[in-house]
Amino acid sequence: MKRTFLSKRNAFLSSASISWGVFACVGVFFVLLVRLFAPNIFWYAFAPVFRVADSLVIKSHILYSSFGDTAALALKNEQLLNENAALVSENNALLVKVVSLSSLFGSLATERMNASGILTGVVARPPESPYDTLVLAGGMKDGIISGMEVFGAGGVPIGVISSVRTNFSQVTLFSAPNMVTHCWVGKANLPLSIHGSGAGVMSASIARSANISVGDTVFAPGPGALPIGSVTRIDSDPSAPEIVLRIVPTINLFSITWVVVRDTGTAFSNMFSSATSTRP
Amino acid sequence: MCTFFAFLSVIFFPWQFSILFATVFSFTEPLVLLAVGIFADTLYYTTSLHTVPFFTLYGAVGTIVAFVVRSRVRASIMGR
Repeated sequence: MKRTFLSKRNAFLSSASISWGVFACVGVFFVLLVRLFAPNIFWYAFAPVFRVADSLVIKSHILYSSFGDTAALALKNEQLLNENAALVSENNALLVKVVSLSSLFGSLATERMNASGILTGVVARPPESPYDTLVLAGGMKDGIISGMEVFGAGGVPIGVISSVRTNFSQVTLFSAPNMVTHCWVGKANLPLSIHGSGAGVMSASIARSANISVGDTVFAPGPGALPIGSVTRIDSDPSAPEIVLRIVPTINLFSITWVVVRDTGTAFSNMFSSATSTRP
Repeated sequence: MCTFFAFLSVIFFPWQFSILFATVFSFTEPLVLLAVGIFADTLYYTTSLHTVPFFTLYGAVGTIVAFVVRSRVRASIMGR
């Protein structure tokens, strides 16, 4: 009779459980021995692992805690949205400021020329301020004094400081009534006196024979010759020997935001003329 | 691979996850519970906190239970 041989099976040490579990137990037991008999080596080997684990725990804790309270999360979200809106608004304002200042300073040469000037913002312009005046955000505290000349974008002269307070000052534009500015016009640089006509417009009379045409640039004295405006219309009466030039400023005075205030020596020239011995 | 993941969970995950992983993996490898328990006590056991290495103890109990369950399951399969 043939006997079938069956090996005795052990429930605790079957062939399937020997494989990885026994190896793992032996390995762990070896690690335990290292910790017990060579703790320095053990902690030296496991310290980097613990550091990584700690950083991972901290990051995961921050992540999980951020989702913990939905009310606080919604509140924070709303706060961030408001902050974002405020930053967008501030960014837009800064962009406009950059554009304004870039057009104001222009080239490097102009920038150097304006370096001695006082940069200040415009608080009010027509029609908020009285016509042909500007209100500036700079005053005596910023070094602005009455009589200083005001320049717009590109170094275009636009007016004179007429009134100064501690923190604010008022500019009377060249287009204001009763303002007289001595300028040049045309290719031949013919001198003429420009009178303010109000509402941002200036006018001047010149001889018909000067051959001035529409589009000619009018220059004002400053450091050199500065373009103050251009001839937009010529009123001519056939019976009169003179023609009337209508001059519009080069820059739009109703949307100006930044100006440079600079002393062009007006006070000095006034003192000089009053001191001359030839004056009656 | 599963055994290795159970060991990693002891280091990188909270102890609840380690127990969960080791219990799940013990269905295929019962000694994992004991090995993970010894490993956890190797890393975290201090005599000032506990007088008994509980992880090792629980691992040993879990391993015995897993072996018993496996033997019963196999016996029931063979009885069919």
